[in-house]
Amino acid sequence: MLTVIRWVFGITFWVLVGAVFHYTLPQVDIVRVTDTYEKRQDIGENAWFWAQADIGTDGTLANRDVFFIQTRRAKGDVMVYRNEDTGWSWPPYFKFDTSNLQAEAADARSTADAPQYYAVKHYGWRNEFFTIFPNAISLRPVEGPDASKGIPYLNIFILALFGAVVYGIWVRWRRFRMARIDPTLEAIEDDFAEKSGAVTRWLGTWRKK
Amino acid sequence: MIGFIRLVVMGFVALTVVYVCLSFYSRAVRRSKLRKKWYDGKQLVDRDTFVQRGLERYDGSIRRKLILGVYVVPMVVVAVIIYLTNFA
Repeated sequence: MLTVIRWVFGITFWVLVGAVFHYTLPQVDIVRVTDTYEKRQDIGENAWFWAQADIGTDGTLANRDVFFIQTRRAKGDVMVYRNEDTGWSWPPYFKFDTSNLQAEAADARSTADAPQYYAVKHYGWRNEFFTIFPNAISLRPVEGPDASKGIPYLNIFILALFGAVVYGIWVRWRRFRMARIDPTLEAIEDDFAEKSGAVTRWLGTWRKK
Repeated sequence: MIGFIRLVVMGFVALTVVYVCLSFYSRAVRRSKLRKKWYDGKQLVDRDTFVQRGLERYDGSIRRKLILGVYVVPMVVVAVIIYLTNFA
């Protein structure tokens, strides 16, 4: 039973950690920009997945206009990106050039007849049930739909660093547990076994011989 | 602006915790190294004086000032990210 609880807890924890990284780390899509638009957003319970108003503007208002970039991905499906400042808060992309990126995206539009492909760096998820969109970070032209996305050095570096920290903590914790906690637990168990033995023996004295 | 101030204040607090821990740790390491050196050496002065002198030299050393990198490195990283995201 305890093992099951430990497994469920462990899997939940690591799935959450993985989700945070998958959401936050940059990814690249090869797309054809079909259009750009802006739309007023009344952000509600999906607020977690939206950034904030442009830096310097009033961020306390309930609703605001958000830029969007509509695309068709090289693999065929459509993808809509939001285009928002992340500013000084999480995730730490420090993006302030939302309007410039929107100008680039508007300039990058192309039709299916004369396609021009772009690599969009973005973070975040598209989810229709929560109305959330990945946030576009940058746009650069590529030769065609099969263009390479490049090796994600930053992601490799961050994940390796995270792995090293986790491993360091785990090793130290294990060493600490073996040195301090396990002997204590064993002592308690031994003590308990001894005590319960005494109780059984005492109860035994009441039984008929 | 509020976001910027919040980042700076929270970053400063977090990095100060790291800085204080690291400087105590570094000083403790230096102290134990000095003790070891005293045991291995000729022991011309008593141990506490030897360690004290060594630590005073450590206090003025570049090695100790390098711990200030705890503040400098994240600031440089942030500046680089801002440049790459917005201007590159």
